[in-house]
Amino acid sequence: MEPILNRNEYTYYLVGNVDDFTERLGRVVRLGKEEIAVFKTTDGQIYALENKSPGPRGGTIAEGMISGEVLFDPICDWKISLTDGQVLDPDKGQVRTYPVQVLGNEVRIGLLTNGGGLFHE
Amino acid sequence: MVEAQERRHLVLIGNGMAGINTVEQILKLAPGIYRITVFGSEPYPNYNRIQLSYVLEKSKAVEDIILNDRDWYLENGIELYTATTVTHIDTEQKTVKADNGMEVPYDTLIIATGSNPFILPVPGADKEGIVGFRDIADCENMLHAADQYKKAAVIGGGLLGLEAAKGLLKLGMDVTVVHLFEEIMERQLDHTASLMLQAELESQGLKFATGKHTEEFLGDKRVSGIRFSDGTTLDAEFVVMAVGIRPNIALAKESGIAVNKGILVNDYMRTSVPDVYAVGECNEHRGITYGLVAPLFEQGAVLAKHLCGVDTKPYEGSVVSTQLKISGVDVFSAGEFMDAEGLSIVRMHDDWRRIYKKVLLRGGRIVGGVLIGDGKESSRLQQWIRTGTIMTEAIHDAIVGLASVETGNTAAELADEEIVCGCNGVTKKHIMDAINEKGLTTVEEIKVATSASRSCGGCRPVVEQILQYVLGDKYDSAAAKQEAICSCTTLSRDEVVTAIKEKGLITSKEVRYALEWDNPEGCSKCRPALNYYLGMIWPAEHVDEKDSRFVNERMHANIQKDGTFGVVPRMYGGVTTPEDLRLIADIAVKYNVKLVKVTGGQRLDLLGVKKEDLPKIWKDLGMPSGYAYAKALRTVKTCVGSQFCRFGTKDSMGMGIKLEKKFERLDMPAKFKLAVNGCPRNCAESSTKDIGIVGNEGAWEIYVGGNGGIKARLAELLCKVRTDEELLEIVSAFMQYYRETGKYLERTSDWIERMGLESVTEAVVSDLDNRRALAERMEVALAQVKEPWSEILNNSNLRERMFDEISVSTKPN
Ligand SMILES: Cc1cc2nc3c(=O)[nH]c(=O)nc-3n(C[C@H](O)[C@H](O)[C@H](O)COP(=O)(O)OP(=O)(O)OC[C@H]3O[C@@H](n4cnc5c(N)ncnc54)[C@H](O)[C@@H]3O)c2cc1C
Ligand code: SF4
Repeated sequence: MEPILNRNEYTYYLVGNVDDFTERLGRVVRLGKEEIAVFKTTDGQIYALENKSPGPRGGTIAEGMISGEVLFDPICDWKISLTDGQVLDPDKGQVRTYPVQVLGNEVRIGLLTNGGGLFHE
Repeated sequence: MVEAQERRHLVLIGNGMAGINTVEQILKLAPGIYRITVFGSEPYPNYNRIQLSYVLEKSKAVEDIILNDRDWYLENGIELYTATTVTHIDTEQKTVKADNGMEVPYDTLIIATGSNPFILPVPGADKEGIVGFRDIADCENMLHAADQYKKAAVIGGGLLGLEAAKGLLKLGMDVTVVHLFEEIMERQLDHTASLMLQAELESQGLKFATGKHTEEFLGDKRVSGIRFSDGTTLDAEFVVMAVGIRPNIALAKESGIAVNKGILVNDYMRTSVPDVYAVGECNEHRGITYGLVAPLFEQGAVLAKHLCGVDTKPYEGSVVSTQLKISGVDVFSAGEFMDAEGLSIVRMHDDWRRIYKKVLLRGGRIVGGVLIGDGKESSRLQQWIRTGTIMTEAIHDAIVGLASVETGNTAAELADEEIVCGCNGVTKKHIMDAINEKGLTTVEEIKVATSASRSCGGCRPVVEQILQYVLGDKYDSAAAKQEAICSCTTLSRDEVVTAIKEKGLITSKEVRYALEWDNPEGCSKCRPALNYYLGMIWPAEHVDEKDSRFVNERMHANIQKDGTFGVVPRMYGGVTTPEDLRLIADIAVKYNVKLVKVTGGQRLDLLGVKKEDLPKIWKDLGMPSGYAYAKALRTVKTCVGSQFCRFGTKDSMGMGIKLEKKFERLDMPAKFKLAVNGCPRNCAESSTKDIGIVGNEGAWEIYVGGNGGIKARLAELLCKVRTDEELLEIVSAFMQYYRETGKYLERTSDWIERMGLESVTEAVVSDLDNRRALAERMEVALAQVKEPWSEILNNSNLRERMFDEISVSTKPN
């Protein structure tokens, strides 16, 4: 058995209001040491991913195009699932994600208490 | 800050397939929004109940069918109580009580208690040796019995009964299937299919007692046989009861939740009590209780989205299909399966190869099917049934086809009044008339004109055959199959542009909806393309969709590989002033830009600008954007020309500045470059530009389609004109013609090759009326363009959201 991280120990931080984010346009949030790309979908869902392109050429992802719950990487045009950070076929890769809580109009992003976001397997 | 303890508490009763599937989807959609507790009566983590049939026949062990092991619950922070049955729900206090004495509060409760095997209410049904087939315990019971006893009876000739019987047979028992009706699986198979299946199973060793009504179980403490209503008996030391299932509603019912056959739920799986949901076999939705997994996954998807606050369509019921999991017997059934009035039936029955295939059509559409002995096409058939696809040659071939089927055009054989498109009731004659009267040449045009193939698309191959049949030699299948603009659609650029005009579609959302895009929000390929086409077709009405622009066009600067930007101010015709140069230099210093580069287009690029500094730099510069990033006119490169040069015959700088000022900012299919030269020495390199203009003996020569980029191409002479007015009109007509007919991202070099120089010359030079009309449409388009930098500067809200980062400290305060 692989070691099990305690994956649910998050601390949530208020980063702004729902209206601070524009549908289908990313916005960079610096949360402590983390640089996070925050996206709002047409459905109004908010997602937070590490602002780092998984592609070979590096770069950031906040500038990408959003379609449904998929982000098109602005540098390599890979498709990235907003829900779990997985790069979709035919490419492979993974972007860290952070849990988002929306309470009323307030948006909070969770950091693992020991730091950072998480990779989904 | 919200700590873990404050998360809402989700309690799940029933650790089975529906409940855990719902939880999995919740974890995917919104990890961490719920704290989750799960109760399950069985002593196992969640397993694949379907595969119990494999455990019974010993082709799989219990460990092999576990879907989520205990580590999974741990990793996801789920509290799991196995071998624990919930005995009461207090819907007032919002708590549940379990048989181990625990009492836990919930914010949201999901009931997923599945169903119980139905035990026939006949005398002796409580004797030892009579079991249902539902869980691992039942399975172990059966395995145990097989070791000790020889003669088994399975009551129920449905899916579950047959799988149980086949399992026991494999374990070495002598098995008889008892069935109330004359035909087994009568709810999924017609007479022929049922008999074939029975014969197949008999050849494998199963016995059948059909048309038998069980009246009593014989024996003392333990069962020894069955007596039927016709007076006959059957010896049996072990009986499996597989006559049906009953939703497990006891708990919900005694807790005051509304039930009928199952726990009553609405389209979002909500029960009669607030915050209590029911999913899976235990519920009853619109009068239906299900007994298969497909519906429960669909229900789970809707429920999970609902609980995570994600917009979702309501659950409206499922089309179910059946597949028997007995090795060596392919059995598939879905939708309607019995012959009936109003149905046309395609049937293939091959007794030698023991294959039977039946597809049922209503109004030409596939509404059901049965496959015995060859299930290769089952998943596609299932799909066709679900979408009510029209039967076509190709589908017919795929299902019942023989190797040597004639694949020629059969459109001629169709009667005129035959309905080709069942969805929209379009006849063959209707389509032929449209082709003849309107001179249609593509399926797409037929679709627009007649609605044929507009809905499910299943009849598209037939429509294409009719087109081919009517046009004969003129039918060019290459033309009919133009390249789709992206993988969200099968439509080509021309088909999309035609539809936008004819249907009056203004937004890209409308286009994707009306033209039935696969992906409702499009992709990185079609989004910018549609935004361009819409702006080109509706210059006044279309509102630019920023979220469909590539980042450079959105930020009005060129993103560099380190995430900083390059800013290029306009420098019309490559001409500047000492004041402007000084200003640019000062700003470069003020914002600490990393590098200043003289570009190939005769201007300056300030590189290494931070995103949040972009609006400030524009403001300080007070110059328009140079559009060095855009699918638009980039620069007009000029030579010194007659103002200073000894050879110059024309004022190239003056004309260049005039052209750049006129056409700047206008969206084009791709980037667009101009050059103007004072004489044929061509110092500003006309031959590699989209339009290269050369002064020659007092006249202007216009060259077009040049490209100095990846695929170099020399510009070709379009025409020669005397006056500046003529030059401006032809340049304008050329650019507009390219805008109207070019594919998004297609440079003029490729466009000219595709269109042919001759036809372009005809359209923009020779045909004077057309030339004027193009130039006029260009003026309409030009009237709409705005300077983007000032637009963003004047809208502080937009500016903040687009350019400013949010910074939050993680230090406790
Ligand atoms: C042998 C077999 C073969 C099958 N083959 C197929 C097939 O080929 N295709 C197909 O689509 N379907 C098949 N099915 C049906 C399929 O397994 C069910 O549709 C599905 O498992 C239903 O899921 P559920 O979560 O609603 O119920 P279940 O999976 O039965 O889960 C309900 C769980 O809740 C527990 N529970 C009940 N009450 C309580 C309580 N008060 N407190 C705590 N826990 C409780 C039960 O113990 C059970 O573990 C088959 C079923 C069987 C038995
Ligand atoms: S192209 Fe002719 S006019 Fe222009 S600079 Fe060169 S030589 Fe002079």
